[in-house]
Amino acid sequence: VGYRQEPEVSPRSLTETFVALRLEVQNWRWAGVPFYLRTGKRMPKRDTEIAVQFNRPPLSLFRRSSNEPEANLLVLRIQPDEGIMLRFASKVPGLELNVRSVHMDFSYGSAFTVEAPEAYETLLLDVLHGDASLFTRADEVEAAWSIVTPINERWKQMDARHPPQFPNYDAGTWGPAEADHLMERDGRRWRRL
Amino acid sequence: MTVDHVHGTRRAATRRTAARADSVAGIDAALMGIWADLARQGPADPTTILARTRVLTLVVVASRPETAERAMDAVLKLAGRHPSRSLVLAFGDPDGPAAIDARVQAHCHPFGGSSEVCTEQIFLKISGEACQHPDAIATPLLVHDLPVALWWTDDPPIGGRTFTDLVALADRLVIDSGLFRDDGRARLVSLAAHAREGLEIYDIGWMRLELWRMLLAGLFDDPALGPFLGGIERVRVTVARPGSVVRISRAALYLGWLAGRLGWRVDEGLVTSSEETQRCVVTRRGRRIEVEVAAEPVPEDRRFRAPGGLMRVELEAIAGRHRATISLVRGDDHLYAEAEIDGELRARRTAMIEPFEDAPYLADALEAPGEDAVFGATLALAAKLVGGAIEQA
Repeated sequence: VGYRQEPEVSPRSLTETFVALRLEVQNWRWAGVPFYLRTGKRMPKRDTEIAVQFNRPPLSLFRRSSNEPEANLLVLRIQPDEGIMLRFASKVPGLELNVRSVHMDFSYGSAFTVEAPEAYETLLLDVLHGDASLFTRADEVEAAWSIVTPINERWKQMDARHPPQFPNYDAGTWGPAEADHLMERDGRRWRRL
Repeated sequence: MTVDHVHGTRRAATRRTAARADSVAGIDAALMGIWADLARQGPADPTTILARTRVLTLVVVASRPETAERAMDAVLKLAGRHPSRSLVLAFGDPDGPAAIDARVQAHCHPFGGSSEVCTEQIFLKISGEACQHPDAIATPLLVHDLPVALWWTDDPPIGGRTFTDLVALADRLVIDSGLFRDDGRARLVSLAAHAREGLEIYDIGWMRLELWRMLLAGLFDDPALGPFLGGIERVRVTVARPGSVVRISRAALYLGWLAGRLGWRVDEGLVTSSEETQRCVVTRRGRRIEVEVAAEPVPEDRRFRAPGGLMRVELEAIAGRHRATISLVRGDDHLYAEAEIDGELRARRTAMIEPFEDAPYLADALEAPGEDAVFGATLALAAKLVGGAIEQA
């Protein structure tokens, strides 16, 4: 059931349930590195991850392979299966030059037998200790709102009776087609989650 | 969740840890529980390391309980060669109450003396409303960033909603055209129409023709036979008919392969000329080539698990004033090929036929790099031969 089909929700509600963003940081360090963010309600699964995709080298040192290797990827899995994964291309053993993506996967769940404390347990203890290192600083919060506020204000200006092209999506999918187009414009696609 | 050690004795060759679940969230929790449990136990041999390994997610669809068991057996045989997260989707009663019954397990095998490799299998029986949206159940269970192979073990309902939704998740589709329903024409045409960029199709029916292709092509290695390749006048493919159905999907693929490799032009599809025979005419540089597919009744035994298996291929060709006849004949456990020029035996070859098993074909289908370009071209021509409106390249 999608949000508009929920009881006591207007079938024409414009309440936002999904966002896909392309952001850039305008400084020398992050020049040319796009940041893609995607989150939403009623996605097929609940996952929180940060994935760093590495640039393709300008020159491939390999002879022509029958399949193009995928970009290398470093994934920090935040929940539910906490861990770190590195994906890189490896030659398939044999005389032919075939390349296949392989994973180096570290999972807290299978590496340690002790269960990690709940996130709020740690934070509450840090509050008692006066340790703010895991908390967001005021300037970070302000920077985040400076990105989100213009989007929220534009959204509010929409007339519920005559909404513009409303990018909706079915429950259990990865969001509207427009989110895919956002990536396709850059010659990319969202990772398979 | 209950964790049940089916057999986990130290230094055992393989060990299996299993749990049950009745929801997608429960399956995730069961998997995490199994890995935590394995981490606590450590490797069977303390001098090795325990590794969770997977190179792909293999989604297996079985519409009947017996094919689900057969599929699971094939998947377990592959666990060492193709470590994957395997998800076997078995369809129960679609009109019954909505239910998910999952058996989740990890199989650990010693590998190379230094590690013990563990893979995950999820055997999922769905019924009621859940049968309408199997993709919504499969999607949360795919491993991040890994390719997805979909193996449809029975006759695939190509073009149907369930099929389309599940294929949308996959990078590679494995089917068996030998199991296409009825005469196989409609499925072959639909498959050709659904071939899309980014979907690698591997057909076990096509892979089983490899020996037939190799043997026929090998005959033309003989320099005396080479000139006849451009002068083929007639081809007759005889297929097995163990019951009442005459299935021509594999014969069409074989003829499609010949047409693609030898540059034949297919203008019309096969039409029935008698109860047992279908015919059409193809051309090469304006010359007519008569093509015929005949069905031969055979007893229903293990040799032919489905109708349409090839029994004989016969070719007639000319080169100048000489005439060659070529035949490939299936025996009980072998293929026999011979070529005669002007009535005199010129070449003879024999090849063993291994008893059919899913696992080796599935392994080859998963291992092959990229798309099978020859199959792609063959499929389009085979679809045209059986009457599909597919443009010839």
